[in-house]
Amino acid sequence: MNWLSNWSPSWQWFHRLGSPRWFYQTTGRWLPWLSLLALALLGTGLVWGLGFAPQDAKQGNSFRIIYLHVPASFLALAGYYIMAIAGAVGLIWKMKLSYMVMKSAAPIGAVLTFLALFTGAVWGKPTWGTYWVWDARITSMLILLFLYLGVLALQYAFHSNEAGNRASAILALVGTVNIPIIYKSVDWWYTLHQPATIKLTSAPSMHPDMFQPLLVMILGFYCFYTVVLFLFTRAEILRRERKTTWVKELVLGEPQS
Amino acid sequence: MKFQFENLQQMLIMEGHGPYVWTAVLVSVAMMAWLIIKPLADRRAALKDVAADIARTAQSNGET
Repeated sequence: MNWLSNWSPSWQWFHRLGSPRWFYQTTGRWLPWLSLLALALLGTGLVWGLGFAPQDAKQGNSFRIIYLHVPASFLALAGYYIMAIAGAVGLIWKMKLSYMVMKSAAPIGAVLTFLALFTGAVWGKPTWGTYWVWDARITSMLILLFLYLGVLALQYAFHSNEAGNRASAILALVGTVNIPIIYKSVDWWYTLHQPATIKLTSAPSMHPDMFQPLLVMILGFYCFYTVVLFLFTRAEILRRERKTTWVKELVLGEPQS
Repeated sequence: MKFQFENLQQMLIMEGHGPYVWTAVLVSVAMMAWLIIKPLADRRAALKDVAADIARTAQSNGET
């Protein structure tokens, strides 16, 4: 591991981390392995959850939607942290790469939030008898979707990249108020949505036969998220750095792939 | 661990819940596939741009 041996006590690593070129090359080496891992976990988890996990005593087979709904919701929220932190780092240290990560996290987060809402709706129909209710959890997730779309829209609302980046980052940071509201919504308000099944502080209130495939799916979604965040950021790096020597060398050395 | 359905057809039906479960699966897979295809297409377009730029520079250098 080259980057480990180069680890120095100075802030050198921080600057290297901020280098789009370094990011592009390093993630290029990691991507094949991460993609394989994501594919293996998602494939295993999905077959296990849809075919082999026992059905829920009360909800029957509709409960199997949990294997997509919960991981998508997890990453919709975790992705917001990534976007907000990347925005904050960009604001504080004026780091270009950090803004690129923030911009990349927005469409991914929007898709995952949409999936959380969509899978929740098709689960709600056979379980609650309705696709949609305006309750606290679901409404705060809808706000999360609008926050992601807002960050995305602000990127294109300014003539200068810099102004767009700053506006996006500020919206992302202000929007973090919504995150604890989403987490706590099932406890603070009366809601149809069931309370959290998985908590870090206690054992899951779920049978291990049902929980194990869910854990595999959550890990798979984390890997998947990392892969697509890398892919989006790498495309953005190439677009922004197209005038630089290293990108030109990259193109000359590597025929269209 | 045991397969929960009698056969694949029963798995598709899921005692009536099939349409809901499989809709959720198909939409998720489609949107996740888009998350992979979109940046790969963007990357390709960016690389093409750079290649065209290099070709243009080389041409104008040759003319002068």
